[in-house]
Amino acid sequence: MLARSSCLRAAGAVRNGAVTVSKRAASTSTTEAAASPFRLNLAGGAATAVAIGSAAWYYHLYGPTAHAMTPAEEGLHPTKYPWVHSEYLKTFDHQALRRGFQVYREVCSSCHSLSRIPYRSLVGVTHTVDEAKAMAEENEYDSEPNDQGDIEKRPGKLSDYLPSPYTNDEAARAANNGALPPDLSLIVKARHGGCDYIFSLLTGYPEEPPAGAVVQEGLNFNPYFPGTGIAMARVLYNELVEYEDGTPATTSQMAKDVTEFLNWAAEPEMDQRKKMGMKVIIIGSALFALSVWVKRYKWSPIKTRKIAYNPPQMGGKH
Amino acid sequence: MGFFTDLWESATPWSSAEAEAVSGGTGTDSTPAQGGEAGEGEAADKNASTSDNKDGDDDAEEPEEEEEEEELEDPQEKFQEECKESKQCSGPKHHFDECVERVTGASESEDKKGPSEDCVEEFFHLAHCANECAAPKLWAALK
Repeated sequence: MLARSSCLRAAGAVRNGAVTVSKRAASTSTTEAAASPFRLNLAGGAATAVAIGSAAWYYHLYGPTAHAMTPAEEGLHPTKYPWVHSEYLKTFDHQALRRGFQVYREVCSSCHSLSRIPYRSLVGVTHTVDEAKAMAEENEYDSEPNDQGDIEKRPGKLSDYLPSPYTNDEAARAANNGALPPDLSLIVKARHGGCDYIFSLLTGYPEEPPAGAVVQEGLNFNPYFPGTGIAMARVLYNELVEYEDGTPATTSQMAKDVTEFLNWAAEPEMDQRKKMGMKVIIIGSALFALSVWVKRYKWSPIKTRKIAYNPPQMGGKH
Repeated sequence: MGFFTDLWESATPWSSAEAEAVSGGTGTDSTPAQGGEAGEGEAADKNASTSDNKDGDDDAEEPEEEEEEEELEDPQEKFQEECKESKQCSGPKHHFDECVERVTGASESEDKKGPSEDCVEEFFHLAHCANECAAPKLWAALK
């Protein structure tokens, strides 16, 4: 055994010697080929220049995005506002919802419908049952046909939907110079920028359009509306409504409240959804931790076992 | 789920208070800040005057004209004006003012040689800057 290992070591030494010898030979042979490092540097530099140049050319050709529309046609992007209901652990500000409904009812509802919201959905959100019933009864709705087959009018009930200002889209267009006031039920979800856009649009009417801007007949300048020409004139002015909770009814306050209300109208399930999401996260993480523990518990005998292999004794003694 | 009912109740303090406020007329005295500015009598006056206004003119285009009381200032306008004058927006403001001067000058001069120009883009940049600057202040001021 001893002799064999020393023999191997000797062979290794011989091999090492051969390697060093060949290395030295190689280095001496390449000195002539690399006689001019200048040419190598030149080639390397040229290759780098070509690489960088082609990348730059490619970026020049395809890199910058081409804008087919002017900024005025795109419209000014709304500023991000820190809405309280967009935080993870916050509900809608229900006082703001109540004020916002007042703004909708007194201002917006003369042109815009909110056709997907029934009075019953306001109960417990902005109003009490009695208040909602009283509001519903202010409107008339078609009742069932009577014995003569005539359809009479009846006062509204909680299950009735908010009345629309116009009977159909054509009537709405005819009354508004050809422009259709959109239904506001889902408007927050239906516009890029959501709440920020609605708020900016409502408060963004400048005193006068900037110099040189062309505003078509019958349109108003609003920077946030794509194309900047909007048929809706500015409607919110200070003290347009009288808030029942005494909040100063400035333009921006009314815009904020009505925007929050419209966000509620678009996703009335948000409060419940966040609560449910919280439950899912808490219960889900507890169950996940439990499952991890169970897995480790069940696998512990397998993971901790030791496999020992005792080879049979070969031959005799050493 | 006591934790969630607590959260819910803290977010909805109106549930009991609002019902009374509605039936009992104005709720001005519920907010001390507002109660200081407008007394009881004034609040009633304001109620009457605004309802008259609404009956009189549906558009409510110029509510300022009918208001005898002190004007309510919109915090948004105030903050935006402050922001436009601030150092932060001095660049866009400078460009906008320059553009307005140029465009109005060009439209007033007789020979319109150059292409007609507008200041919408400059206006956008200025408005963007002013709004970015005013947004957190505005949200702190609004309820």
